[in-house]
Amino acid sequence: MAKIGVFVCHCGENIAGKIDCKQLTAAMEQHPGVAVAFDYKYFCADPGQESVKKAIRDNNLTGVVMAACSPRMHEATFRKACAEAGLNPYLCEIANIREQCSWVHTDGEQATQKAVEITRSMVEKVKLNNNLQPIEVPVTRKALVIGGGIAGIQAALDIANAGREVVLVEREASLGGHMSQLSETFPTLDCSQCIMTPRMVEAAQHPKIKVLTYAEVESVDGYIGNFKVKVRMKSRFVDMHTCTGCGDCIIKCPIKKIPSEFDCAIGKRTAIYTPFAQAVPNTPVIDKANCTYFKTGKCKICAKICELNAINFDMQDEIIDFEIGAIVVATGFQVQDNSVYGEYGYGKYKDVINGLQFERFASASGPTAGKILRPSDGKEPETVVFIQCAGSRDAAKGVRYCSKICCMYTAKHAMLYAHKVHTGKAHIFYMDIRAAGKGYDEFTRRGIEEDETSYLRGRVSKVWEENGKLMVRGVDTLLGKPVVIAADMVVLATAMVPQPDAKDFAKVIGIGYDEYGFYNEAHLKLRPVESSTAGIFLAGACQSPKDIPDSVSQASAAASKVLALFSKEKLEREPVVATNNEATCAGCWGCVLACPYNAIDRKDIVDRSGKLIKRVASVNPGLCQGCGTCVTFCRSHSLDLAGFTEKQIFAEVMGL
Amino acid sequence: MSTQETYKTKVKELLSSGKVKMVIGYKAGTTADRRRPHFMRTPEEVDQLVLDSACITNLSGYLLSEGLLSDGKEIAVFLKPDGIRSINILAAEAQLQSNQVVVLGFDINGSEISALQGERASDFQALTSSSNEARLHKQQHPESARLEQMTPAERFAYWEDAFSRCIKCYACRQACPMCYCRRCIVDNNQPQWVNTSSHTLGNFEWNIVRAFHLAGRCVECGNCGRACPVNIPLGLLNMKMTDEVLQSFNHYPGVSETQEPVLASFKKNDSETFIL
Ligand SMILES: Cc1cc2nc3c(=O)[nH]c(=O)nc-3n(C[C@H](O)[C@H](O)[C@H](O)COP(=O)(O)OP(=O)(O)OC[C@H]3O[C@@H](n4cnc5c(N)ncnc54)[C@H](O)[C@@H]3O)c2cc1C
Ligand code: SF4
Ligand code: SF4
Ligand code: SF4
Ligand code: SF4
Repeated sequence: MAKIGVFVCHCGENIAGKIDCKQLTAAMEQHPGVAVAFDYKYFCADPGQESVKKAIRDNNLTGVVMAACSPRMHEATFRKACAEAGLNPYLCEIANIREQCSWVHTDGEQATQKAVEITRSMVEKVKLNNNLQPIEVPVTRKALVIGGGIAGIQAALDIANAGREVVLVEREASLGGHMSQLSETFPTLDCSQCIMTPRMVEAAQHPKIKVLTYAEVESVDGYIGNFKVKVRMKSRFVDMHTCTGCGDCIIKCPIKKIPSEFDCAIGKRTAIYTPFAQAVPNTPVIDKANCTYFKTGKCKICAKICELNAINFDMQDEIIDFEIGAIVVATGFQVQDNSVYGEYGYGKYKDVINGLQFERFASASGPTAGKILRPSDGKEPETVVFIQCAGSRDAAKGVRYCSKICCMYTAKHAMLYAHKVHTGKAHIFYMDIRAAGKGYDEFTRRGIEEDETSYLRGRVSKVWEENGKLMVRGVDTLLGKPVVIAADMVVLATAMVPQPDAKDFAKVIGIGYDEYGFYNEAHLKLRPVESSTAGIFLAGACQSPKDIPDSVSQASAAASKVLALFSKEKLEREPVVATNNEATCAGCWGCVLACPYNAIDRKDIVDRSGKLIKRVASVNPGLCQGCGTCVTFCRSHSLDLAGFTEKQIFAEVMGL
Repeated sequence: MSTQETYKTKVKELLSSGKVKMVIGYKAGTTADRRRPHFMRTPEEVDQLVLDSACITNLSGYLLSEGLLSDGKEIAVFLKPDGIRSINILAAEAQLQSNQVVVLGFDINGSEISALQGERASDFQALTSSSNEARLHKQQHPESARLEQMTPAERFAYWEDAFSRCIKCYACRQACPMCYCRRCIVDNNQPQWVNTSSHTLGNFEWNIVRAFHLAGRCVECGNCGRACPVNIPLGLLNMKMTDEVLQSFNHYPGVSETQEPVLASFKKNDSETFIL
């Protein structure tokens, strides 16, 4: 005989404000199989949980229904309480009368009626629930960090410093990401390279970190604690072990005019190159597309000059397999392509540049050794106009969101310009100054007050060239007047956008993304560093536009999640897995194809003499994630999901 | 020599040489315009073989009779293009191995029939592809067009009326080569998903389940509709499902046996974000 307890939670006014909890409780008391029903203000609070435990013991309950908030909120809480009272946790079900009822209805009477139905249907389901035991799976205590920018490096160092192994995969030839391209960083103006390079070196030399540069994650299979990862080591054509990074080859390479990606095309590089002087590792790579030998079959000057014979033109890509327990994705961002803004003349006028290019001019180690010079004639600009929100907060041409960092780096740029060109004048067109952050507002104020940056609130409508000057026409909305400024240089504060391949890459690793391609967190407020896939965490600008402090904080947070996962040898998994009825299975293999986790195998059924009778599908409970895809697919309904069996679902539906 | 006679010679040869253990074809039926399946194991039985424009039944389903293919021996079967496509589907769904089936292909053009060249289902790739092309540009059936014009309420009434005749004899299921499950969902009474009694709900449930289970798999051979003793226009449902699958997934069932079942497969590069 079923003895079900029904506990109706008010959730303060959240539920009780709409639903008549007394009426709901009374209705449940009358329902067959219900042994006890009562209501309470907050069942999730300690006294509430205690009252449930007491009711379980006093009435010898065989099942519990919590009529409360979404199972995503407190299923774990209530199941744990049940277990503490000696009831198998899987005999506890949640009837969601908050998100699915009180919050979404206006008519109290009808909402109460609906709550009765929802709760009754769960009572009918729970009558058919079975005891389930958690499944234990081993955890491989090695982490994969994808992306070697500041976020990835920080996460890798934190995990490694706690004694766990890390594989850090960076697709460029060096670690560093965008931070290594920056000049000085707001709000403290410390030199970016100076604080970044030691981190890069520390990661590369750390005994627990295996740094793989010029490498890409090819595939990710498996699940939390047990991922199988393939990494492609792209061929550098230079042997990492023999090369000492002397750089002789770079000096002698005759192809010298390739626009440097690292210097945003302001500087030039050779065909065999390291992205920048402080690169980690400092082993160069050969850019196959531009190398004379690869194009014509002749040259090999670098190979001749290399005393150590480190250059190998026959080097092939290599695939390395890793067993990984947790993954941190830190693939960063890109700046938007400004050529969509024809009116600003980016791409048309040489002296219209973007913020990242300005960083390269301002960098002491950059192509101009830190001098701000006009790309067109190499002269110092006397007037510079900065245009903020070039792409951000522009639903029509750019992106709807705020890139969060542009107000700050534009203020920084104006300041750096003032420090470098004392007679120069900086004008900033802005929409709002968003300087929320420790020391941020003080920073922008300093720019205005000490370095005389002029801020003009309004948008720029056009930039054109006249008599060797860039004419910038905009409005000053505070004065209500149009303005035209004759500038020598225009800097666009370009929007931060996801990596161009972010969406494709999300599919490779199996995580979700938003409309732009930023990776989705499991919960924006409560689980901001976890992706919706168990065991995969997010760090840095791949999740949303972020500055360095935010990227580093999130990286450390992700590392702590990884370490928590690695603190146990075994992981308890929910026993919600599929099972197959071999008698009715038709062996169509639809489920084998449909299963996103490759959890279903083909199994031979043989008679006593070993003769094959038939082949059927068989679910591996270690791999099954309980998604239910196969169950919905199977035409003969041979598959069933523990905890959500057909009988249970049927009873639930019939209870409505 | 007529196509029928050529084939008779060929079938005799197949049987007497021992290449196949059985040939499935047609023989005269109860009335002049009906044919029934003919299972030939000896050359003598071939004399009764009939091959003419009345041979419209898709015979591929008989291959799946319990135990028939389990000895690994080959069987030959007379098939029209739709039947060849159903072999591809059955092979894709691991119900048979196409190299165990010798296809005796033919096509019907009005009252004429012609032989199709090829031995294995895969030899007919050009044919199945061109029928895919033809299906894409096929004009809508007038009755379908009429149904599309209806309001949802009118359409519901139309089907309610049609399904009200259903006696749940499951002849449609029996006739369909793709309905091979050992236990059909309607035979599952724990729980009884589909109501077996003959009222609107149960009738809808069964017929919709059948249509859905054949979506992306039905070759529009018409076996089901012809089998239905109460003339429910099952073909119209099948046509609609075929159209939908073509439009949504550009999938035409049975083009080849390497084609992945459309509703069981997913691509990691699907544009839907819920696909992981
Ligand atoms: C013009 C400009 C000025 C800025 N100034 C400041 C400032 O002064 N102060 C401040 O706090 N912030 C500043 N920022 C922001 C700062 O650059 C970012 O916060 C920071 O770089 C984010 O770090 P990240 O590691 O998340 O991303 P990134 O720096 O973009 O690093 C991501 C790394 O991942 C790699 N990667 C990408 N995809 C893959 C893949 N599939 N496989 C392997 N590797 C991959 C990339 O190659 C890259 O190395 C500025 C940004 C810009 C554009
Ligand atoms: S989908 Fe169903 S019938 Fe087909 S193989 Fe899987 S369990 Fe068996
Ligand atoms: S429920 Fe089915 S489809 Fe989902 S992971 Fe398990 S076996 Fe695969
Ligand atoms: S559903 Fe009907 S028309 Fe379609 S393949 Fe089956 S029997 Fe043929
Ligand atoms: S053949 Fe006709 S009557 Fe029989 S079950 Fe199918 S649709 Fe119903």
